[in-house]
Amino acid sequence: MKYTLNFEEVNKASLPMVGGKNASLGEMIRAGIRVPPGFAVTTDSYLNFIAEAGIKDKVFKILAKVDAEDVTSLDGASAEVQKLINEALIPSDIEKAIREDYGCLCDKCGVERMPVAIRSSATAEDLPTASFAGQQDTYLWIEGTDNVIRRVQQCWASLFTPRAISYRIKNSFPHEKVLISVGVQKMVNSRAAGVMFTLNPVNGDPSKVVIEGSWGLGEAVVSGSVTPDKFVVDKIVLEINERTISPKNIQCVYDPERGEVVHADVALETQTKPCMDDDEIKELVTIAKRIEEHYGCPQDIEWAIDKGLSFPENIFTVQSRPETVWSQRRKEPIIGKKSPYELLLEKALTPIKYKF
Amino acid sequence: MAKEKVARFPDPHEFKVPKELAGWEEMYPSHYIFAKERGEWEKSQFWYQDKIHDPEPMPPLDLIFHESWQISLSQYTTRVFCIPPAQGIAQRMVGCYMYICAVAPPPEEIIKEKAGYFQKRVFYVFEHYDELWEKWLNKFQKLGREMAAVKIPEELPKYVPEEQVLPAPRGYYASYELIEAFNTLVSMMFKGWQYHFEMLNLTYLAYLMFADVARKLFPGISESAIGKMVAGAYVSMFRPEEELCRLSRLAGSFPEVGKIIKSDVPVEQKIAELSKTEDGRRWLAELEKAKNPWFYVNCGSGWFYYEGSWVNKPAIPFSYMKSYVERLDKGEKIERSLEEISKKRDEIVAEYRKLIKTPEDQKSFEDAYKTVRTIYRYAEDHLFWVEHWFHTIWWDKIRDIGKLFVKYGMLKKVDDIFMFNRFEVPELIEELVTWWALGEGIPLRSRYYMDKAEKRQRILAAARKWSPIPALGIPPKEVAEPFTVMLWGITTDKVAEWLKGAAVVPEKVTEIKGFASSSGVVEGTARVLKLLEEITTLKEGDIMVCPCSNPAWAPVFTKIKAAVTDIGGLTSHAAIVSREYGLPAVTGTGVATSVIRTGDTVRVDGDRGIVIIVKRAR
Repeated sequence: MKYTLNFEEVNKASLPMVGGKNASLGEMIRAGIRVPPGFAVTTDSYLNFIAEAGIKDKVFKILAKVDAEDVTSLDGASAEVQKLINEALIPSDIEKAIREDYGCLCDKCGVERMPVAIRSSATAEDLPTASFAGQQDTYLWIEGTDNVIRRVQQCWASLFTPRAISYRIKNSFPHEKVLISVGVQKMVNSRAAGVMFTLNPVNGDPSKVVIEGSWGLGEAVVSGSVTPDKFVVDKIVLEINERTISPKNIQCVYDPERGEVVHADVALETQTKPCMDDDEIKELVTIAKRIEEHYGCPQDIEWAIDKGLSFPENIFTVQSRPETVWSQRRKEPIIGKKSPYELLLEKALTPIKYKF
Repeated sequence: MAKEKVARFPDPHEFKVPKELAGWEEMYPSHYIFAKERGEWEKSQFWYQDKIHDPEPMPPLDLIFHESWQISLSQYTTRVFCIPPAQGIAQRMVGCYMYICAVAPPPEEIIKEKAGYFQKRVFYVFEHYDELWEKWLNKFQKLGREMAAVKIPEELPKYVPEEQVLPAPRGYYASYELIEAFNTLVSMMFKGWQYHFEMLNLTYLAYLMFADVARKLFPGISESAIGKMVAGAYVSMFRPEEELCRLSRLAGSFPEVGKIIKSDVPVEQKIAELSKTEDGRRWLAELEKAKNPWFYVNCGSGWFYYEGSWVNKPAIPFSYMKSYVERLDKGEKIERSLEEISKKRDEIVAEYRKLIKTPEDQKSFEDAYKTVRTIYRYAEDHLFWVEHWFHTIWWDKIRDIGKLFVKYGMLKKVDDIFMFNRFEVPELIEELVTWWALGEGIPLRSRYYMDKAEKRQRILAAARKWSPIPALGIPPKEVAEPFTVMLWGITTDKVAEWLKGAAVVPEKVTEIKGFASSSGVVEGTARVLKLLEEITTLKEGDIMVCPCSNPAWAPVFTKIKAAVTDIGGLTSHAAIVSREYGLPAVTGTGVATSVIRTGDTVRVDGDRGIVIIVKRAR
């Protein structure tokens, strides 16, 4: 039984142990993609925790009585379960494993209290057929062992938000079967960050990579609190076909005084500047292509460009998951039964629009 | 209510050219002038300056190429291959510049009628392309050889030679020979251009067909990405350059020959020195072999007599060879690998193909691609044989006639013959041979023709200084005629820009738009080249700005960082060569050579088709 696993030790076969997000980070490292270092707190940790802490039976008993249509019942059950989890004592061997791995990460980065991002990585989340995306919490810029451990525990608890509970009930997904792993990953101190798709989500064009990015941490883009810059790039000839530079008035940044990530205003003259240059765009496209090729299906990728490092070492992939909308759709021929000749004739018979 | 002002260009019948151009109408045949008798029709069309074939004022005799293409291109569209919605391209002259218009589509019933012919004829040619191409090339080369064999009398003899009289009089003599020679040359030029369009329109159709399929499969695919899949190496067009590489390598292998090639003496002296040694003579023999046809490549677009060809401007190929030999000395590779180019293209195609999910779509893509690639052979090769080889033969022959005019004092310079259009040259010939036939002591009307030639040179010089208005008449709301877009690069946006741009001061412009013809972004110093001769001023790493490039410019592309042209769409020469060399290119800007000045710092964005003037030269 392993309570933690370094990202370098996991791959897609580790999914039951580390969840989709973490497994995918391991896969990417194997594929040679630059991913910020970190480790996964395994599902075994979670299972062991709820068993050893003696809360397992209580939790599922509460959940069994929930009425998914009744908000009060959902909220009540959720609060009760989350309280149980957050207040339970973590078994010492699990705590020790997290403490050691976080220590190693700090040593590796040469920073005593290395800021990390802590994300839940559920085993049923983000699978192509069950989009649970965004149902668990993410904690940014967490520093120090005790804080890390506390947030890991909160991630476990986030498995039981009212939304998550109701979603599972409505989709007949047993609560007992959803396991949770937690990823602890070095925080990228990003100048710009965002998401990208290995096809054009607007029309399904598989020859494009569409990048959306904004200043600061990627949360501003992911949460939709800012209209990002958008670039549509041909992934084969690497031409930037479209670029939409939006006024990006807000960014997510770490505020050392408050010790947390905050939404901050962006200086007026910076708002309308593109948040990345052409070399960075092309590097991202190259990365997107590699990830897509590695997985063999279209991907939805989160990326970040570090403030301090120099190109191309500054470009990181923080997450990748299968694209779900178009991937399920495109089974039918697009052109249909017509031959190119027939298409040409059809075109030739359409009077040229030569309006005056 | 205020009357809505319609955005339009001047009425061609009322448009006035600068007074320095007075008399320009006499230089061209009367059917090339906007005229009241067909004013209604002329007014209802949209005319734009043909910057692709004649960015410069038109020398009267060079109009013959255009006379022949107007008929040929149009007839293939309307009467031969019957492309249903398309009509011909009409031409007019205004102030020494040519204006053209894509005639508005025919009525619905004609479109339907043409469809039947179109289907049967066009698809047949698509299917039988390979054998047809062989036939075409044989036929065309035969015509060129026949033209080269047309005999121009070297003189009008005082008394015709004995053998033309005894034992039996031949019955026709130098006078008739000269009349006939010119008429034959004219007929052959028209025939050559009839051949020229045999398959050209079809290559554009094949391109449109493939582009349509590609856009259905990849909705956001750019024109330049499609271009990259289609364009290959202009096999014949790159031959002249390959021959130079071959000759340079050969020169490098004979130390003495290499030294002479690298020396800074005039070409004549180089040749004289080469012929002194055995190795030199061997090299000269190889040069001789390469000359016909490969040195018949024109130094310009192939449309103007004064551009010249390598074969009659040997300083140009010799300067290329000098730099090639020098590069070989440094151990550099001078050849471009055509295979490499094709390989790269195939890789791009394979990547797109891999993204197609169903076998049905894969087949459609495959079929359309196969057709376009097969047919493109014509687009890639005909240019050398027609605009270069054939035109060079024509000019040489015409100059032989010009020499006679000079010999007998009718014209001052050989090239003055180009100041007379093809209907006028027979008059000059008739005057000359009449003078000869009449006997001794007859006055020639020399002064009249010399003055005329001089006056026309002056008008052309004035026209060169004038920036002709980009268009006349009422612009269409939308330009969709495929040849207009593909070949001339005229789009709806372009027309809108012209409408806005009439009052623009070139010095104030900071950004110009064109086609994103070859991807990449670079910044550098601009070098504006109007004529190929000016390439000697080009420095390594310059950004070339020119009206439109052509294959004789190919060696230039190894020196430059990016290319910007006034004219040309995605399949223009500069676009294709830039893609092959991996240089950013923006083509079809319409105004680059008038807005950008040599020394300006410019940023060429080949991804978006934008050129930004970052800093003006002092």
